[in-house]
Amino acid sequence: MSLLTEAPEASAARENPARRRRRVDRLPYLLLLPALVIIGVLLLWPLGQVVTMSFYRLNSVRQLRGDREWPWVGLGNYTQILSDPFFLTVLRNTVLFAVANVLLTMILGTLVGLLLNRLGRKMATFVASCVMLAWATPALTGTIVWKWIFDDTSGLVTWLFNALPDRLSTSLFGHSDWTGYGWFNSPLLFFSILTLVVVWHSFPFIAVSVLAGLKSVPSELHEAARVDGAGPWRAFWKITFPLLRPVFGILIVLSTIWDFKVFTQQFVLAGGTQDRPTFMLSIYSYAEAFSPPPKYGLGAAIAVILTLILLVVTGFYVRMVLRQEDES
Amino acid sequence: MNRWKRLAPVTAVVASAAMVLTGCGGSDEKAADDSKLTVWMMGEGGDAQNKFLDGVETEFKQKHPDTDVVVQYIPWLEAPKKFQAALAGGEGPDITELGNTETQGWAAQEALADVSGRMGGWADSKDILPDLVKNAQLDGKQYGVPWYAGVRAIYYRTDWFAEAGVKPPTTWEELVSVAKTVQAKKPGTYGIALPGNSELPFYSFLWGAGGEIATNEGGTWKSGYTTPEAQKAVKFWTDLVTVHKVAPPAAAGWNEIDARTQFATGKAAMAFAGSWQQGAIKKDNPEIEKVWGTFPIPGPDGKAAPGFAGGSDVAVWKDSERQDLAWDYLTVLLNKKNSQTFASSLGFFPVYQDLVAGGTYANDKVMASFATTMQNTKLTPLTPKWVEVSRNKTVTQAMNSSVMKGQKTVEKATADAAAEMEGILNSK
Repeated sequence: MSLLTEAPEASAARENPARRRRRVDRLPYLLLLPALVIIGVLLLWPLGQVVTMSFYRLNSVRQLRGDREWPWVGLGNYTQILSDPFFLTVLRNTVLFAVANVLLTMILGTLVGLLLNRLGRKMATFVASCVMLAWATPALTGTIVWKWIFDDTSGLVTWLFNALPDRLSTSLFGHSDWTGYGWFNSPLLFFSILTLVVVWHSFPFIAVSVLAGLKSVPSELHEAARVDGAGPWRAFWKITFPLLRPVFGILIVLSTIWDFKVFTQQFVLAGGTQDRPTFMLSIYSYAEAFSPPPKYGLGAAIAVILTLILLVVTGFYVRMVLRQEDES
Repeated sequence: MNRWKRLAPVTAVVASAAMVLTGCGGSDEKAADDSKLTVWMMGEGGDAQNKFLDGVETEFKQKHPDTDVVVQYIPWLEAPKKFQAALAGGEGPDITELGNTETQGWAAQEALADVSGRMGGWADSKDILPDLVKNAQLDGKQYGVPWYAGVRAIYYRTDWFAEAGVKPPTTWEELVSVAKTVQAKKPGTYGIALPGNSELPFYSFLWGAGGEIATNEGGTWKSGYTTPEAQKAVKFWTDLVTVHKVAPPAAAGWNEIDARTQFATGKAAMAFAGSWQQGAIKKDNPEIEKVWGTFPIPGPDGKAAPGFAGGSDVAVWKDSERQDLAWDYLTVLLNKKNSQTFASSLGFFPVYQDLVAGGTYANDKVMASFATTMQNTKLTPLTPKWVEVSRNKTVTQAMNSSVMKGQKTVEKATADAAAEMEGILNSK
């Protein structure tokens, strides 16, 4: 919008060579404009729509189309969700899942990053390529493969457990026949497998980012630490971690956002929206909005709640990162 | 002037974005023309269906020579999305096939035209099975016309049964003992591929035991799940997994397709499936045709249990500008001769009482059992709220799964399900 208000000033600047640079400065904004328009159309506008929809009772496609009026319910959808005890289950699932996954992803990612830093060039390239394959696998494809691995009759995991010596299996688990075992039957087991799939998908990014950070740490620091007798554990917490703190900050923010809104992996592993005890916020929103009969308003309200939670989390971390930058 | 010059790129970007936005919504405002009638069919089609529909079109053209019939196939799983998109303002059909469990839901979404009046004036409609007709109604109005129907029965391996020396069971007790015997004879297989996460096969056991899903008592829905009959059915159904172990724990999460695949791939001796699924089973294993047979789902005491009549309806699309044409097409497509031809080619039954009765199916080794159950069908509760119970909250599926997974007792699970169901059905 500054374009419009500054226009007269700018035409005067033409005769003034000293101010010509300001005109050039406008070019970046102009170049950004197409991207901004696209983001506005594809992201901000729908976001606004979702927020608007969450204040109406919308149970029919004809309402979305404008054939029927939209009855205003104010905060009705929100009170309905928040007063439903099921919401607490969903929120608990979401938060516990996100915390566990962010922790595990960060730990595994950092360890692999450290490993990559220690390896020789060829080996590092090899390991990094393998690891990046997991990152490059689309969520849908990867999850379908994992679902096969845990297939109750012919899956690899079922086969492996069947291959255990019968006596060992019986003493550990109480039975030796694993064919037809319900891998997704209990919520705890379901979430464990979901965690495995999500961590597998997301740790490579952390590993590579940490590696990039590590490359910027001067090697003299580590050498000096080793000369002074610091072990790897100490060296990590006294040298690597403080230096990479901003990197870790950003990675935690990103992981938190990703793990809060996991949808694809859950939808595929659970086989749709039938397994309500394992619902998390995003699949809950989807199920309310799109499982027949549709309740778009209610689904939108859940999506807004999820967005608000993420905004709070993100805001908290962004503030932390900014403060660190001020200090350094 | 300069100002405009400088604004030009901005304007161009905004304008092109606006064009992109409106481009997809550019609807043509021309009046209804009768040169084309769009028909949506479910599934993948195939040569047999194409040939059949060509015949129908020829017959239809005798009355409307200037109208071209355009048939589009919609995969079953895609259908809800296509319907929703069409309803949201996209290109819709003039007439469409749809699963008969979905008709009420789409009628409630105002997708389908009320054909009560037209139906009354069509002589053939008097012979359609009354349960199927009622199933396509919402608040007493007719939104679809039954096209073909089918019920579930139990498929079994004739060779394994012979090896184990057992005959198809006719009571619940026999069902368990037969399953155990065959499973013992064939290590590494399951006695019954039980779809623990599906509701329709279970209803045969519920109804067989004399239970009801829900009944309307003076405007208030009362769930039948807390009755001793229903609890007996839930106990029998879940005991197959937890006590008799003729189906594995994983069955708690199986839907009908998962279960049917176990049977098709030689991992189970019995499976619940509809007559129309013969093709799909043979696709998984062409050899199985030689060694399969069917028997009706037994009731507790020797009588065949009632079944839910699944199948398809045909409905006129509410937004269609050619509803008269659409109805004319429907009456050709659904006349008795065409119904019989088409239902047979799919492994379904025609919906006309006089065609299903008779002895047509008595000698068919697969279809005979289904024909028995076709005489004794029941419906899920007739209310637009039912779809919420069935498809969104999946109340019955969750009830059975939770018992199979050992999370709830039969008493607790049935009480919870009844309360949830009544809450939804009686909500305003």
